[in-house]
Parts: sequence; structure tokens; C-alpha cells
Amino acid sequence: MEFVVRCQHYPPVRALQASAVLRRVSDEHKKEPFTPSSQQQFDTHPAGHQPEQEPQGPRPSYTGQGGQESEDYESEEQLQRRILTAALEFVPEHGWTAEAIAEGAKTLGLSVAAAGMFHSDGSELILHFVSECNAKLSELLEKEQKLVQLGEAEKKPTDEFLRDAVEARLRMLIPYIEKWPQALSVLLLPRNIPSGLSLLTSMIDDIWHYAGDQSTDFNWYTRRAVLTGIYNTTELVMLQDSSPDFEDTWRFLENRVADAMNMSNTASQVQSTGEAVVQGLMGAAVTIRNLAGLNQRR
Amino acid sequence: MAAVAAFPAVRLSLGRRRCLRCGPGPRPVPAGGAAPRPCSTQAAPQGINKPIIDRIIRVDHAGEYGANRIYAGQMAVLGRSSVGPVIQQMWNQEKVHLKKFNELMVAYRVRPTVLLPFWNVAGFVLGAGSALLGKKGAMACTVAVEESISDHYNNQIRTLMEEDPEKYKELLQVIKQFRDDEREHHDIGIEHDAEATPAYSVLKTAIQLGCKAAIFLSERI
Repeated sequence: MEFVVRCQHYPPVRALQASAVLRRVSDEHKKEPFTPSSQQQFDTHPAGHQPEQEPQGPRPSYTGQGGQESEDYESEEQLQRRILTAALEFVPEHGWTAEAIAEGAKTLGLSVAAAGMFHSDGSELILHFVSECNAKLSELLEKEQKLVQLGEAEKKPTDEFLRDAVEARLRMLIPYIEKWPQALSVLLLPRNIPSGLSLLTSMIDDIWHYAGDQSTDFNWYTRRAVLTGIYNTTELVMLQDSSPDFEDTWRFLENRVADAMNMSNTASQVQSTGEAVVQGLMGAAVTIRNLAGLNQRR
Repeated sequence: MAAVAAFPAVRLSLGRRRCLRCGPGPRPVPAGGAAPRPCSTQAAPQGINKPIIDRIIRVDHAGEYGANRIYAGQMAVLGRSSVGPVIQQMWNQEKVHLKKFNELMVAYRVRPTVLLPFWNVAGFVLGAGSALLGKKGAMACTVAVEESISDHYNNQIRTLMEEDPEKYKELLQVIKQFRDDEREHHDIGIEHDAEATPAYSVLKTAIQLGCKAAIFLSERI
């Protein structure tokens, strides 16, 4: 028998009831909850968090007096994440909408009412997607770093590293590229700007960190600002690119990164020239003081 | 059978995404779709309270940077006078401090304060300005700043001790050591007749007010 008896004590929070109903429905349809896409790292929650465990078989479990749940329950957040991950499969067809979320919920064996948990403009879906992509990128960069540390790979020069990182991250958009402009406009809604911005900045910071940036002065900000500019412009170019495998986009990216490197070289050249000029002027001033007999020690 | 079963229990999520490798503490991102930021430096220990450590390192870095610039300003004016060597020696110690905080900043992946260029100029101006008031003026400035800084370090030590002395042992050691150094600078300043400066208390209060403002801003911005 698959129906599991559960006692619970939990505060009657309205938001929870929706997911609670869905959970019960899912218990009754004991389907394999993991969609094929989740076999990839896409659905991997960063290590350390409680792994959700689907209860296998009849197991009577009930809450104790303190209302403590047993381990195999998932939090509402985890459930939402699962639904959103499942919904991504339907985005190319339905766009970043409640329909996609509803379809995703259906594949998990949940009621389509699950889409009611989310905003109708698909904000959470898009933010979830962006954060998953960022997590994948970080894992990729971490792995690369380990290989370099183990001596199994060469350390890339900075411009190549930045290019590859941005390209890897933008390639994750390819399956959804048709509907991505819609996503970008949703991300610009005032409600979403703080989260969107923070996701963007943490991604850029990650890339620079793995590129080996150790600046502790204002360079910290200029580098990240420049890379953010490169990323955003390349993303926009990609949306309008129709070349095979987006070659034009990668060439654009290469040029922008080269520009940035040139800029920083020019900046340091200007600085050393400026320093040399100042030294020259100081030398001239001291000479004049000596000539005028003013340079006496008091 | 079905008597008691109504709705399954769902564990309340805490609403805020945590940085899953760096432990608890509110991150400034809403729970909706924000990424748990994977902090993956090898050197930074896991499970630290990132927001507090961020602030501490950021403001300390800014402080040492400012102190460097203050001594640079003082040396520019008084470098060839009799207190020159004394100021140089204190400046050298501040350079060591700054180097240490640069390392910590990279290890903990802390962002530096945006106001660094401003502290660059302001510190130099303060140092040079106080030195133009004479040797005693420079010493008075040193006393005021070092007193502010040691109080500030003491506060940080208290905060870290309240959090978890074991987890932050290394950081605590560093801050304690630096606090002792700053205390020493303060005493050197007193030895060199800082208190004999004309308008000493006014000068000292003004400088300490400036330091408090600098600390407040550097923690946040």
C-alpha cells in the first residue's frame, strides 16, 4: 500500500497549504519525480543541503510532540525548486509563463494548481534558471581550477579565461534563446531588479575570482564593471545572432575582451608615464632650489 | 487508516537562502530565485558568518590603508626632522598590517570599500595637515587615530569572541596583535609630547569624530 499515514502539527500558514495539498497528491501518484533533465547537474543542489528523499514504500511516520517532522520531508523551497526545474523543459514551447510551470508540475505528478504558487509573469522561473546557470558555471570553473592545481591542465591567460567563462555561461542560454528576450524584460521589472542584479554581480565576481584576480583596491570595481559590460553586450549580440553556432557572438566577445585588455595596458602605461613626468618635474624643482641656494638643511 | 492523515507536514523553510558552504547568516538576496553563493576559496574556512567577517575585514583594510596614507603625509612634511625616524618606523609597521589585510581580503573574498580613493586623499591630507602644525601636532594626530583604532579593534575582538572564539581563532590573533601594535603607537605619540599641542583636545575630538565616520561608512559602503 502506498498511501502513507502522516500526522502533522504545523502552524496553519496559508502559503503552506497549497504545497501541502500538492504533496498529498504526489503521495497518491507515487511517480518517479526526477525528470531526465535532473539527471544532469542542472538539478544538483549545492552540497550540504538536505537531499530530498522521496519516501519509498509504506512507512508510517508521524510527527512527535514538538511538531518535528521526520527527515524525508522537503521544505517548500525545495519543492518549488523541483517544480521550476521541471518547468524549464517546457519553456521553449510555452515561454517563461505559468503554463510552463503548470506543465512542469504535471510531470512531477502534482496538480497544475501548483503554478499558483508563483507569479504569473514567470519571474521566479527565470531567476531560478539564472541561479542554476550560475551554479553550473561555478562548478565548471572550480573543476577547471582543480585540474590546473593538479598540474593536469595549463593555466590559461586572463583574456582566454574570461572569454571561455563568458562563452560557457552564454551557451547555457542556447536552448532557451528564442524566449530569452522575454526573460530579460521580466528581469528588468522593478520587483526583480535587486535579485537579478545580485545574481549578475555574484556571477561576475566568481569569474574574476577563478581568473585569479587578487586586487584589493579600486581595481576590484573597475574589473568587475568592465566584465559586466562585456557580458551584457555579448548577451544582447547573441540574441540577434543567426550565424551557425553563434560564431559572430564569440568573435564579438573576443574583440571586447581584447579591447578590455588593451584598455588596462593603456591605463598602466599612462600611469607610468605620469609618474615619470612627476619625477622629472620634482627633479627640476630640486635643481632650481639648489641653484637658488634654498635647499639648506635647517 | 486515513483517519489522522490530512496534510503531510512540510518543513518550513527559513525563507532566506543561506550561503550553503559558508554557513548561516542572512545574505542580501531574496529567497525567490537567488543563488546560494558557492564560496569556494580553499583558504577561507567553511561555516563562517560571512556578513560579519566581510564587514570586519573591509573596515580594517580601509583603516590600515588610511593609516598608511596618514603616515605618508606626515613623512612628506616631517620626514627630515628629528621625529622622522620615529614616524618612519610606525609607518613600516602599518605597511605590514596592510599587507596582512590584503591577504585576508583575498582569502575571504571580501570586497574592498568603494571609498578607498577618498581615504587615499583624505588620509594624506590629514597626515600632512597635522604635520604642518608641527611635530607635536603630528603626534597628536597619531594619538587620536591610534586610540580610535584600538577601541575599534577591541570592539571587533568582542564581537568575534561573542560569535565563536574557536572558529575565528586566527582572525582574533591577528586583530589582537594589531591592536597591541596600535596601542604602542599611541604610547609613542604620548611620549613625544602629543598632549602639549595647542588645542589638543579640540584636535583630538575632531580627528576621532572623523575616524568614527570613516569606520561607519567603510563597513557599509
